[in-house]
Amino acid sequence: MKYTRSPGDPRNMTDSSLSSLGAKVVVASSGDENHPPENITDGTETFWMSTGMFPQEFIVRFAEATTMSAVTVDSYNVKHLRIEKTASQNASQFELVTEKEFGHTEGHLQSNVVSLNGSSATHLRFIITTGYDHFVSVHRVTVQN
Amino acid sequence: MVKLRARCLLVGDAAVGKSALSHMFHSEGTLFQKNYSMTTGVELLLKCVNIPETNDSVELYIIDSAGKETLVEGCEKMWGEPSLLCLVFDLTSEQSFANCGRWMERVRAHCRGLHLPGVLVGNKSDLSARREVESSVAQEWAQSQGLEYHETSARAMENCDAPLLSLARAFQSLYQERRETIQNLSPG
Ligand SMILES: Nc1nc2c(ncn2[C@@H]2O[C@H](COP(=O)(O)OP(=O)(O)OP(=O)(O)O)[C@@H](O)[C@H]2O)c(=O)[nH]1
Ligand SMILES: [Mg+2]
Repeated sequence: MKYTRSPGDPRNMTDSSLSSLGAKVVVASSGDENHPPENITDGTETFWMSTGMFPQEFIVRFAEATTMSAVTVDSYNVKHLRIEKTASQNASQFELVTEKEFGHTEGHLQSNVVSLNGSSATHLRFIITTGYDHFVSVHRVTVQN
Repeated sequence: MVKLRARCLLVGDAAVGKSALSHMFHSEGTLFQKNYSMTTGVELLLKCVNIPETNDSVELYIIDSAGKETLVEGCEKMWGEPSLLCLVFDLTSEQSFANCGRWMERVRAHCRGLHLPGVLVGNKSDLSARREVESSVAQEWAQSQGLEYHETSARAMENCDAPLLSLARAFQSLYQERRETIQNLSPG
């Protein structure tokens, strides 16, 4: 599987893979040790897969408070995503930023840009409330500053 | 090692032995209640099943739902989105078997068209003199519905693990299939 975008793709200009921002996944539901949540942030072709039931969530922690205009989420079978943020240091007091319904794709990944309206946060919490199947996967999250 | 999680609906007519079976699952066969105590809502039971010869396990959130007709509608609100189905009938009651079709319809209405792996369980196999449903007939119907068939006796503690293991295996293979599909996807 390849994730290379064409060199002219506008998303290349401002994309930052999460690991390059010093970001880490600190909490995630579900557990297949061959498809751990770190796969979301490492900027490679690997993925995190949910292992049953909804909701599913993961929390990304940034090295410092980061201002973001949008995130791009590459996934499969995600139906509804809710993004929360917090500016606190200890992953508490999350507040809703936005919710989005993803379109169904078959045979290829979903790639959705979710606007964050210049939110500043130390943590982003991604909650997948429903899917198009029993299992969903998240392949990559990139941040647009 | 994979830790899977599944919401398993336990349904079927009143008094077929759903709660008796779920107590068997839970207490590993030490707690059979002879006196019938009707379930009036839903009872949640957590059971972890290790799949033999693998490092995988499935945590089953078993939802034991009342079978009595007038209570069903209220219970359905608490079914949520099931991942697995355990449909039970009483081997000594032809009627409870005949009603399985209606249970399937009810459950399917909660699945948004998703495939729901499951088992059909003929319970009370200890009452062989009163049997009203032939194994072969039940087996055939189960197959037509894509369910695996098992006969159990909660009372004699016979074969009660088999449906659980079968459910866990079915969920594991669904997971493996989906994972394979995702591994072969092309980029968005
Ligand atoms: N002989 C025999 N009796 C059983 C068996 N399993 C359950 N029973 C009896 O059948 C009656 C009903 O069992 P329950 O487990 O309460 O039935 P249920 O399906 O949960 O019924 P509802 O809660 O009303 O939907 C009880 O008196 C049990 O003791 C069995 O394997 N053999
Ligand atoms: Mg009961």
